[in-house]
Amino acid sequence: MALAFQVLVTGAAAGAVYGLVAVGHSLVYRLTGVVNFAYGDLVGLAVFTTLLVAAGTGPVTQTSIGGVRFVVALVAGVVVCTAASAGTYLFAIQPYVERGSTIGWVGATLAVAFALNALVALLFTRASYVIPDPLPFRRVGTGGYFAVGDVEVQARAFFVIAVGIALAAAASLILARTRFGRALRAIADDADAASMMGVPVQTLVAAAFGLCGALAGLAAIVAAPSASFSTQTGLLLGVKGLLAALLVRFGSPWRAFGAGVALGVAEAAIAGLTVAGYELGPEYREVLPIGAVLLLVALRPPRQALEEQE
Amino acid sequence: MMRVASAARDAVRDARAAWGPSQTLLAVITAAALLLPLVVRDQLTLTSLASWAYLALAAVGLTFVVGLGGMPSLAQGALLAVGAVVAAVLRADGDWPPVAAAAAGALAAAVAGGVVGVAVGRVRPAFVAVATWLVAWLVARGLAEFPAFAGGAEGRIVPQGTVAGVDLGATLHWEIAVLLVALGALGLAGVARGQPGLALAGLRERPAEALALGVPALRLRTAAFAAAGFYAGLSGAFAVQLDGIADPAAYSPVLSFTLFAAVLLGGARSASGAVAGTALVGVLFWAADRLASSAGVATGRLGTLFAAALLLGALAIRSETVLPTLFRRREEPPAPVPLKAPRPARLEARGLEKRFGGEPALTEFDLDVEPGAITALVGPNGSGKTTALRLLAGTVAPDLGEVLLDGSPLPRGSQRTRARAGIVRTLQATQVFGGLSVLENARVGAGLHLPATGLARSLVATPRARAISRVSRGTAVAALREVGLDGDAERAAGHLTATDQRLVMLAAALAASPRVLLVDEPSAGATAEDVARIADVLARIRDRGIAVLVVEHNLGLVGRVAERVVVLDAGRTIASGGPREIGDDPAVRAVYLGGRVISTKTPD
Repeated sequence: MALAFQVLVTGAAAGAVYGLVAVGHSLVYRLTGVVNFAYGDLVGLAVFTTLLVAAGTGPVTQTSIGGVRFVVALVAGVVVCTAASAGTYLFAIQPYVERGSTIGWVGATLAVAFALNALVALLFTRASYVIPDPLPFRRVGTGGYFAVGDVEVQARAFFVIAVGIALAAAASLILARTRFGRALRAIADDADAASMMGVPVQTLVAAAFGLCGALAGLAAIVAAPSASFSTQTGLLLGVKGLLAALLVRFGSPWRAFGAGVALGVAEAAIAGLTVAGYELGPEYREVLPIGAVLLLVALRPPRQALEEQE
Repeated sequence: MMRVASAARDAVRDARAAWGPSQTLLAVITAAALLLPLVVRDQLTLTSLASWAYLALAAVGLTFVVGLGGMPSLAQGALLAVGAVVAAVLRADGDWPPVAAAAAGALAAAVAGGVVGVAVGRVRPAFVAVATWLVAWLVARGLAEFPAFAGGAEGRIVPQGTVAGVDLGATLHWEIAVLLVALGALGLAGVARGQPGLALAGLRERPAEALALGVPALRLRTAAFAAAGFYAGLSGAFAVQLDGIADPAAYSPVLSFTLFAAVLLGGARSASGAVAGTALVGVLFWAADRLASSAGVATGRLGTLFAAALLLGALAIRSETVLPTLFRRREEPPAPVPLKAPRPARLEARGLEKRFGGEPALTEFDLDVEPGAITALVGPNGSGKTTALRLLAGTVAPDLGEVLLDGSPLPRGSQRTRARAGIVRTLQATQVFGGLSVLENARVGAGLHLPATGLARSLVATPRARAISRVSRGTAVAALREVGLDGDAERAAGHLTATDQRLVMLAAALAASPRVLLVDEPSAGATAEDVARIADVLARIRDRGIAVLVVEHNLGLVGRVAERVVVLDAGRTIASGGPREIGDDPAVRAVYLGGRVISTKTPD
């Protein structure tokens, strides 16, 4: 029971970040029919920008950072990620969507992804980094951990889950309640019609890309101090968010977020899972979900199969 | 014996006919490359060159999928890894000889590629990218997490072997890599020119039109992925022996991206492009290494950064539809193969009904399409005409009712089974394969009743594959003659006028030897002169004994050629009969024609 609780909390905290990336993937797909392969690296860019401003490129400890400087760093990270996301749309996606070239935007977003990844890796050359945590979680419980039964649960995890839920709620509210959100829904429904009604489609979609970058970037920065972060982490976050978005077929923000949390919990649970008397172990935690989603895509192909492209 | 001799003579004749500047260039470059070890003595340099040559082989393979198929595959690195790991395990644990291990690796990767192809064969390109990206991650994470395959973080040592008593060192690897790239390039070129290549190109350019012509999408795309896998597997299986170690870190999604970038940088249409693209990326990586070491930056990522930046630039300044016209060979116009007279066929619809989101698009639809006659289906926009065509052609399945051919109900099946039964449809709007020549457009249709040559036969250009190619070209020329476009056979179809493009579509359908032809708005946007040409062509098609159903807005055209007219309104048949009766029917005039009368005058 206690173990299940630990799996649930740890998994949901990791999954909250997947969930916000999934929210972004879903919104972007609904708006443009495009999958942004650079998304994960844009999120990674947010985390590393924050680290750069907060502590530079050298080794960092959890405690070596003041609150004010961290806030500045956090804002810098989110702003850079927002701008880079909008820029990715304007320069690497929009021109190819207009031209009807799928290979074009696939190539361009991947190029952005690997260029960002390589740029960050040029500055941050160590295998992985500790992201400083300005909040005093290590004073909660025993060194930041609660004892639940015979297992320990990281106090920070609850905070990450709460922030994740708040950001997902923000995304949902923005879509449902604001003029901006209404315009986005109109674009998702029929971009040409929206354009004819005077909606500035390109600007709003670029803004939506920025918003997606900001939400997922913020979630990743908040979650980053819980574990070490490497230049590959961002790339993987993009893939896991995509898995979650595929699970709910690029559905609404809450569904995408839920799928992300479920994926996080599944990953945490798989390590301890026993199938037919055989304990799976941690090596299955990434491979199994990817395989399962691939199977789903193959067996129930997404809408708009070839026949419908008349 | 005699057959073998004559087949060999044919092969030599075909090879001589097909020999052009590009073949000479390939032979010269290959010969020069084979002699390179006489100049480059340094084993490290040669090792590095050989490993890039193996990557070029994988890039040539990826061209089957990305170039011919138009599918953005991001799994080529994963397929390469499959070949590498299989070969590594067989070499290290099974003590297989190097070449046998490489062959096994290539076959395993071909099977893996085929599986990927089956999985993504029916989805649109965006999801091909998504699914293959996940495959790349699945393989990369799997190799990293399960040491049983590639030894985990330490990698798996692969012993160096000998081939025919010669040490399989850098020099021999280079020779093997060059030969494989040259053979691979020949194979790709053979497939691109042959029937499977044309059908793949059709699917790439206009999937709906290709499917309406009965192109077997799933089979072809699976074959393209299997071919890509075979090349990638061969590349990985030899390269892992060159490296002496299978290292999971080498098979990350970065490898798939690098191969994808190489193919795009080379223009994604030809083997020479793939090789040039790989060479470009290789030079970038080399320059990045030099720069990194002179600047004291300890990183291997600079090369990826350069390649990514170059790809962004290349994509931004070039639209991909521009074919490399370098060395475009003028082939002898093929001898026409007369079109077969169709067996008369009668197509019937009984009680067809189709709803979209609860709204009926078509209800209680009955129709008879007679052989050797033109039936016209008219009605205002949204009256269900195109829905009727799609139901008849098997593009979508009806909610109720059935379609009968010669009195027996057709199974609910794919468009391909309908097309093979003789029911061929042309689409609304202009849907030619714009990047192909007029002749090639018609050849896509001509492939319908030709025996499947398969990618494997086309790869090695067997006599059978070449004979089939001759029939396909001849049939296409005959079909073009039928619509009066045989003089334009070598022009790019996308550059023709709208009406000529419609006629190309009709020729492609004719080349598929239809018994029933379903034509959707052949005269949309045509001038009066063009309408007359289209009417003539439709009449000629009818006179061949084909049952023709035309959906048409132009009532002048309908009055001129149709024997029977069926009028639809809001998904229901409101009248049917001869053009004159329909013109006089007050209900029709009230609902649809708004007082206009179908002209039955023939201009002469």
